[in-house]
Amino acid sequence: MPNEILREEVLQFGNDARLFGILTLPSLPVHQTQKLPVFVFLSCGVLHRVGPQRLYVRLARTLAQFGFSSLRVDLTGRGDSPGRPELRNERSLMADYKEIVSILELRFGQSQLVLGGLCSGADNALMLAQADQRVIGLLLMDPTFHPEDGFRLRKLFRRLMSPAQYMNPVNYVLWRKLKTELLREPPLMIGNPPTRERLRAAFQAICERKGRALTVFTGSAVKQGYTQLGQLGQTNSLPGYEQYCTERFFSTAGHTFDLEQHRRRLLDEVKVWAAGYL
Amino acid sequence: MEAFFFGSSNQQLFGSYHPPFSGAGQVLTVICSPLFSESARTHSALRKLAISMAEIGQHVLRFDYRGTGDSFGELEEVTISDWVEDIGLAVREGREVSGSSEVQILAVRAGALLACTSVGAGSEIQRLVLWDPIADGAAYLQAIRRAQAQSLKSEFRLMSRAERLEATRDIGGWRVSEKMLEECRALDSGAYSRIPKNKLHVVSTASANGFSPPGVATDVVPYPCNWEHVKENVIDPQPVLERLFTCLTKS
Repeated sequence: MPNEILREEVLQFGNDARLFGILTLPSLPVHQTQKLPVFVFLSCGVLHRVGPQRLYVRLARTLAQFGFSSLRVDLTGRGDSPGRPELRNERSLMADYKEIVSILELRFGQSQLVLGGLCSGADNALMLAQADQRVIGLLLMDPTFHPEDGFRLRKLFRRLMSPAQYMNPVNYVLWRKLKTELLREPPLMIGNPPTRERLRAAFQAICERKGRALTVFTGSAVKQGYTQLGQLGQTNSLPGYEQYCTERFFSTAGHTFDLEQHRRRLLDEVKVWAAGYL
Repeated sequence: MEAFFFGSSNQQLFGSYHPPFSGAGQVLTVICSPLFSESARTHSALRKLAISMAEIGQHVLRFDYRGTGDSFGELEEVTISDWVEDIGLAVREGREVSGSSEVQILAVRAGALLACTSVGAGSEIQRLVLWDPIADGAAYLQAIRRAQAQSLKSEFRLMSRAERLEATRDIGGWRVSEKMLEECRALDSGAYSRIPKNKLHVVSTASANGFSPPGVATDVVPYPCNWEHVKENVIDPQPVLERLFTCLTKS
């Protein structure tokens, strides 16, 4: 559809036109945009391509104002893309990605890519980044966070040391259950949460390609052990992290950027960060 | 499914048209989704329902109101009147794409109020099936505000006074204009009474604020949809979809 600043096209692509996405294109002459990377927003959780509170739509249209093209896509089994009964989890993601890359090559030639997403969308971006040389950027919103060693034990210790825990017998019973839970591995999330090794490999790959990453954590990451800015680089021992990664902590924002003020702040951060490609 | 943008060039709407799987169906169903977060929460369920109806030979059109979903426009710049107009536009587009002569509407929650306001006493719509319609706009807004306050309890404790104040400007996390709020408050159950009762059919899940216009045929399918929840939990109630399917496909 035409617009002074941008236009959008519906894409149904891949084997059996299984994948559904919306391509956002800036209304600029091709020669002005051809060197810029293309953003790919991977759907998060069970939500469709518009993202929570329409976040992906706004990101795509904001980026188009600066000349960036983007694709927001329903991974198979979400939104308007039917599932792949024969494939699950990571294999399905890989098959989807192959088809996403094919359609983008058809439209843009050999373009560089920035993969982005929230939560499982961010996790999927991390899973895909290492293997594909085209990926030179990551825009991650609340990706899986691996806390530093000892975080869970310290949390447990703090709870045990709190007198309030022992005042109420109901708490005591609940506490015994909670203790068992805390000592377990974190539960699996929807999507493909990367292991610590995969996460490191993804960031190292971005670094080697002289790419860049923007990671935004919300207040909900605190429950996973995120407590201070820059912790992603520290806990994952990522050398030179500060040189190619911008990390932001929206301590009062909910996981899905539930409030307009947080979405606006996020859009501002993305604008500033993306300007680095211009 | 064929997806496309339609309407005036500066504020186009996004539509998903499901043609009949076989044969030349005569009936077109236009789906008017609920508003705000309820729209994303029911996306999958309404898509599933649209596919089922296309499988038995109906044309179905889903669409996003201006400033929502993939449609153009900023939510802060649109009003209830725009959305009422969008329904008329979607019906016209659906007729044109499908060539159908018989049109019915499935409208969900506040979408039901908008659909009935849009259709009025006109005779071009043969049937309106309403899933958990809301009684009036003012009560609806209050319910959303209550749900937002509840869900943001923990975040509020960490926010500065300025942030808290700013947060109170949102409706379920969405920023809308004063005009939109005014128009929404002005929507009331009178919209239902302007439609001949024999054209209306309600499917109610008997949720907390359940409502059915007096004298209108109502099917009750108890199901905990938890509409009064602003987070993004998906609503995909199979028994309700089956009942809606029955209502929309009976001759």
